[in-house]
Amino acid sequence: MEKGKSKFVGVRITDEQASMLSRLQKDSKLSKTELLLKGLTFLDEFYSLGLDRRPLSDELSALEKEAFHYAAELRRVRTREEAINEMVQELHNIDEIVDKYHCDKSALIQILLEIQAKYYWLPKHALMWVSERLNVPMSQIRQIATFYKAFHLEPRGKHLVRVCLGTACHVRGGPRILEHTERALGIKAGETSEDMKFTLESVNCLGCCALGPVIVVDGDYHGRLSPSKVEKILSSYD
Amino acid sequence: MTKLGSATDLANLRKQIVSKMDPKKLCVTICSGTGCQACGCDKVSAAFQEQLENQKLSGKVNVKRTGCHGFCEKGPIVIIYPEEICYLQVTPQDATEIISQTIKEGKIIDRLLYTDPKTGKKIAHESDIPFYKNQKRLILENNHNVDPKSIDDYIALNGYSALAKALSGLSPEQVLEEVKKANLRGRGGAGFPAGRKWETTRNAPGEIKYVIVNCDEGDPGAYMDRSLMEGNPHLVIEGLILGAYAIGSHEGFIYVRQEYPLAVENTELAIEKAEEYGLLGKNILGSGFDFKITIHRGAGAFVSGESSALMTAIEGRVGEPRPKYVHSSVKGVWDRPSNLNNVETWATVPFIINNGADWFNSIGTKGSKGTKIFSLVGKVNNTGLVEVPMGMSLRDIIEKIGGGIPNGKKFKAVQTGGPSGGCIPEKFLDFPVDFDELAKVGSMMGSGGMIVMDEDTCMVDTAKYFANFLADESCGKCIPCREGLKQICKILDAIATGKGTDDDIKTLEELAEVLRDASLCSLGQTAANPVLSTLRYFRDEYEAHIRGSCPAKVCKALITYHIDPEKCQACGLCLKNCSVGAISGKKGVVHVIDQEKCIKCDTCYDVCPDKFGAVMKISGEPMPPAVPEGTKVKKKV
Repeated sequence: MEKGKSKFVGVRITDEQASMLSRLQKDSKLSKTELLLKGLTFLDEFYSLGLDRRPLSDELSALEKEAFHYAAELRRVRTREEAINEMVQELHNIDEIVDKYHCDKSALIQILLEIQAKYYWLPKHALMWVSERLNVPMSQIRQIATFYKAFHLEPRGKHLVRVCLGTACHVRGGPRILEHTERALGIKAGETSEDMKFTLESVNCLGCCALGPVIVVDGDYHGRLSPSKVEKILSSYD
Repeated sequence: MTKLGSATDLANLRKQIVSKMDPKKLCVTICSGTGCQACGCDKVSAAFQEQLENQKLSGKVNVKRTGCHGFCEKGPIVIIYPEEICYLQVTPQDATEIISQTIKEGKIIDRLLYTDPKTGKKIAHESDIPFYKNQKRLILENNHNVDPKSIDDYIALNGYSALAKALSGLSPEQVLEEVKKANLRGRGGAGFPAGRKWETTRNAPGEIKYVIVNCDEGDPGAYMDRSLMEGNPHLVIEGLILGAYAIGSHEGFIYVRQEYPLAVENTELAIEKAEEYGLLGKNILGSGFDFKITIHRGAGAFVSGESSALMTAIEGRVGEPRPKYVHSSVKGVWDRPSNLNNVETWATVPFIINNGADWFNSIGTKGSKGTKIFSLVGKVNNTGLVEVPMGMSLRDIIEKIGGGIPNGKKFKAVQTGGPSGGCIPEKFLDFPVDFDELAKVGSMMGSGGMIVMDEDTCMVDTAKYFANFLADESCGKCIPCREGLKQICKILDAIATGKGTDDDIKTLEELAEVLRDASLCSLGQTAANPVLSTLRYFRDEYEAHIRGSCPAKVCKALITYHIDPEKCQACGLCLKNCSVGAISGKKGVVHVIDQEKCIKCDTCYDVCPDKFGAVMKISGEPMPPAVPEGTKVKKKV
C-alpha cells in the first residue's frame, strides 16, 4: 500500500488511516487535540507500537485502555504514597507528643489523651508507635484505651452529639431526650451514623444542671429541652 | 517578673497592685463558669468589649471575666461595679442598653434585675437576693471577684497571705497542729479528719512524699470542685502548698477530669504564674522550701476518683482500686506516702491558717466544722452552687435558698451523696446537714450533690438509674460489685416493667448486704445505698410497681397514653408530632391514640397545650372506654 502524504501530529499516515481518523473524529465528536489527549501521546512511537497493523480506531481504543490502566495504577501509587506520607506525618506528630512528656511511661494516659484530642480517635498505627516508643506492650495500651471513657478506637462522625444523663437531667426527663435523639439519628448511643455525619454519646453529667435536660452538639449547648425540640436542633447541623 | 524572695516582697507587691486599682472605676464583670458559658456568656463579653470600644469607653470601663457565681439558673450573670448592680440572664443584645443606661447615665434597668417570686420586688444587689442572702460564702466568696486567669487579682484579695504567714513564721508542725485543731474533715465524701491523714503521711517512712488534689468529680449532678478549680485555682494551689509544707512533701499532683477543659486550662495557667512569681518551685518566698505541681488529666472513669485507683492512674496505669490493708497515706503513688484530699478540703486550708482553728471551730456543728458547698439541682427553682455552714437544715437549703419546687409540685425526696448516697424523704427535712446526721438517715454527705425530686420522680426509676450507672462504672475487679450490681439491675428492671415479685425485694436486701460486706472499694461497698434508702422510705412504690402501677407515671412499661375526649380540642399538634403515626383524628374530631402503634415516647404529652391538658398518662387503672370513631370535640366556651 502506497504511503500517502497525510500527517497526523507530525507523523505520516496512510490515506486509509487518514480517512479512518477523520471518520473517528466525526463519530466521537472529538477535536484533534482531544484525540491526542486520549492516548495519542504514543503516536511518535507509531511504528514501534505497531499502530499500522490494525485499523487505527481499534489501535486507539487499545491504547486508550492501556493509558487508563496506567493512569489508574499511577493514582493508586499516588494515593498509597499520600497515605504513607500522612501516616509518617502523624507519627511525627505523635513523636512530638511523646517527647513533650520525656518518653515517660507514667505519662501514657496523658499521651493517649493528646492523641485523642488531635485525631478524635486512636488509630491503630498511632497506638503501635506509642507502644514502640514507650516500650509498653500493646496489651497494656489497649487495656487503658478500653477502660477509660475518653478514648475511642473507631473514627468518629463529623458532629458529636452528647446527651446528658446526669441525675439532675435524669429527673427532668433526660432519658426521653436520648430516646428521641436515637430515633432521629437512627443510631444508638455510642454509635456513629453510616454517613459519618453524627456520633451519638450519652454522658453522665455536663455540670450545667440548671439547663437540664441538655444536649451538646459540637460544643453548642441546647438546654431546657423537650423531646419535640430535638429534631429541629439536629436538622440545623449538616 | 523577678521572683518574690520573702513574705515582705509579697506584701509590697500586694500594696503595689492595690494602689493601681481604682475602686471607683466602672467595671463590668461577667460570670464565665461552665454554666454561664453554656448560656452564652462568651458572646455577652464580646458584645461588651466591642460596644465599649466603638463608643470609645474602653479606657474608662474595665471588662472582667470571673469565676462561677453559683446562681447558674439565672446565667449569664453580669455585675456592674462600683455600684454592684446585678443583672441576670443577660443577652448580647442587652449590652447596648446596659452601656447607654447604666454605665453612661447610672440608671438601673429593672427588666434585668432579680424579681422576688413572693413579693414581686426587684432586687438590685447580688447579696440581697434570697439565694445568696441565706448562704455563708467563705470558700466561694472570691469566685465572683477574681479573674481566674490573673494571679494579681488573687494576690490583691489577700491571696497567698496564709502561705507567707506559714513560711515566714510557722513550723510545719504548727501548721499541721492548726489543721488538726480545726477538726477539718475531708470534703470528698467520707469526712475523714484531714489533720490525722496529714500526720500519717508525715510520719510514714520514706524521704519522698506526695500530696494530691482530687478533682475527679464524677458524681452526676455535682460540680462544686469544678467551679472552684475553674474560678479560683490559686486558692486550691495555696492550700496544697500549705499541706505539702506541713507534711514535708516536695511534689504534688492535681488530678482533673479531662471533661473539665476550662479547669485544666485555668489550673495550668495558675501553676505557670505561681512559678513565675516564686510561689512555686525552688526556695518559695526565700524560706528554703521547694515544691512543684504536675497536672494529671483523668480520662473518664468514675472509679478513678477512689483514692487508690486515682493513684494507680497517676502512675499511668488503668485506674483500678486495690485492697487497702496498707493505707495510701503510707504506700500510695509508686508505693510512697501520698496524701490525697478533695479540692474543697485544700481550698479550706488557707482560711484556717489565716484565721486560726478557733475561728473555724466557731462555724458548724459539734462533729462537722466549717462550711460546705452543695450543688443544688433537679426539681428546684434556684439551681446552683450554695455554700452553707454545717448544720443548716435541708429544708432551709431547699426552700430558703433553693426557692422551693417549681410549678407548685409536691416535694418527694432529696438525694445526697451521689451514687453512694441515699434519698431522704420529707419527714427528715429538718435534719441538720452534717457528716454524722446524714449517715443516721441512711444517706451520706458525699462530695456535695443535692438532687431535689418532686412527685413526678419515680423512686424505683431513681434506684435503677444509680444501679445502672454504678454497674456501668464498676471496674470489674472484684466479684461482689461486678456481679452483684448486675443482678440488682436485673431485679430492678423486672420491678420497673411490672414483672417483679414480692420475693424480689428480699433478694435486693440480701444482695445489698453482700455488696456492702464483700466489695473491695467504697464504690461497691456503698453501691446499694440508693436501693436500700429508697426501699426504706418508699417501699410502697416498689410494691405498687409489683402490682403493676407506677405512681409517678415514669416507668414506660407500666403506663399508657390516652387522650381525654372531654378535653381534646382537635388542634392536631399531637397528630402532627407523633413520629410513628399512632394518632388519628381530623378537624373537629376527637383524636385517638392507637395503643398498638404507640411507643410511649411522651411527645404527645409534651406538645399538648397546657390550656387543654388532654393527653394523660394512666398507670395501674383500667383504660377508659374507647370513644366511637368520629366523635365531635366539645368546644370550650
